[in-house]
Amino acid sequence: MKAASQSRTGFWLPDDEATRLAAGKGESMIEVRRVSKSFHKTVKHQTTELKALADVSLSIRPNEFISIIGPSGCGKTTLLKMIDGLIPCDSGEILINGKRVIGPGPDRAVVFQTFALLPWRTVLGNVEFSLELRQIPKEQRAATAREYLKRVGLEDFEHHYPHELSGGMQQRAGLARALAVNPLILLMDEPFGSVDAQTRQLLQEDLLALWQREQKTVIFITHSMDEAVYLADRVVVMTPRPGRIAEILEVPLKRPRDAEAVRRDPVFVDLTNYIWARLKRAMENRS
Amino acid sequence: MKTRAGANTLSILIFAALWEVAGRALDSTLIPPLSQIAHTWVRLLMSGKLLANLALSLWTLAAGFFLAVVLGVTIGVLMGWFRHVEHFLDLYINALMSAPMTAFVPVLILWLGLGVESRIAVVFLFAFFVIVINTLTGVKQVDRIWVEMARSFGAKERDVFFKIVLPAAMPAIMAGLHLGMGRAVKGMVTAEMLLTLTGVGGMIMQYGSAFATDALFAVILTILVLAMATMRLVRAVDRRLTGWKAEVAVE
Repeated sequence: MKAASQSRTGFWLPDDEATRLAAGKGESMIEVRRVSKSFHKTVKHQTTELKALADVSLSIRPNEFISIIGPSGCGKTTLLKMIDGLIPCDSGEILINGKRVIGPGPDRAVVFQTFALLPWRTVLGNVEFSLELRQIPKEQRAATAREYLKRVGLEDFEHHYPHELSGGMQQRAGLARALAVNPLILLMDEPFGSVDAQTRQLLQEDLLALWQREQKTVIFITHSMDEAVYLADRVVVMTPRPGRIAEILEVPLKRPRDAEAVRRDPVFVDLTNYIWARLKRAMENRS
Repeated sequence: MKTRAGANTLSILIFAALWEVAGRALDSTLIPPLSQIAHTWVRLLMSGKLLANLALSLWTLAAGFFLAVVLGVTIGVLMGWFRHVEHFLDLYINALMSAPMTAFVPVLILWLGLGVESRIAVVFLFAFFVIVINTLTGVKQVDRIWVEMARSFGAKERDVFFKIVLPAAMPAIMAGLHLGMGRAVKGMVTAEMLLTLTGVGGMIMQYGSAFATDALFAVILTILVLAMATMRLVRAVDRRLTGWKAEVAVE
């Protein structure tokens, strides 16, 4: 357990002071500071409070690839939506390059678990959608959309409708839509959760290649330990009810990472085993 | 599609043949042979009487249906999008949706008189509520994930409405227009029979009371063809607007 224990001492979740110091040095791009969030559910006049996130702090460097892993209900999607600005924090704050997040912005783009493609638009039209909202002129829009379709390998499918594509291809379109607006930060919410295993591995490899070329900060939510470790620089392990960060683990695997070789690497095996044990403990404590 | 068109044609031919045979065998004014009806139909067409009345009817239909679409879709969208508007209005819409609209004809006569305004109002009332309900349902069923996606890419409320809600609800809205058109034709004929005896509905009353059954059937068949043609028109528009939906259904 060399890798994990090392990172546990070296990269334990930052407290407020450490966070501020890191930001001051210009090393941190995304600052999540002591964020909490509850949801209220009313059933038959009885309102129950559901604590989704409790006192979560996280500091992310520019161009870093972060995986967030945790069981259902640990608030990882809530955290992602708050970083995107789709929902506000109850307490605490989120800063991006020193500016407080108050809503969605052009520096961020989301890739959705269910793809969220519009069925009445072609693949090209779906990629153009994000550009339309940014008031980009029509000719430029089409050219940019085609360029990004090419980067995700969909150049021959621009006139297809989403339902004519496989799940993996649909998510490539979703990725192209997000990349087309040239965001600094890519927020990915279990993006490969609903495609088959082989497609999933191909998508992971392509995503890493894209990330290495494009220089983006990525926050990647997943259920899969294997996926989390293979992709990320650091893995954030969360526990449920209320959602807390249990641990942040450095992944000391060299890049570029070969999909097959990495999975045989003892460091990889140790890390995934460790995360599994950690998650299992969290789940047992709950029940 | 080909076999379906073939079956339809065959069905019509068999039905027409039976009618012709029955009409000749019974030799009664109550069921005139189809050939006689066709003959009368041509006579009515050549005299210009049928076309003049048809034009009158179609104008009423178009005006009433247009108003029903504009107001029905607007109110349906407002009810679907704003929960307060829905709670404020759904009682009336649901009550009137299934109410017999014919009951309102006397009221309309008192309010609007016996002119074309009353007939347009009847067409409107017949078509309006089903359009509202379908639009409302369509807007409410828009997948939240699309709205969230649009917002995450910086969509303003106006973008969300025009780029997400309206296209997503379009299949349901068009289904409402389709049903509404069927009801509008019913409203048109009802108004012409009960209000002022004009148009094709007026012709029905006139020939019915004169026992001119051949002319009566000629007009009735004309109305059936008109009803089908207008529904086809709505479906053609539907296909243009929501072609993507048809493809989804095929898959």
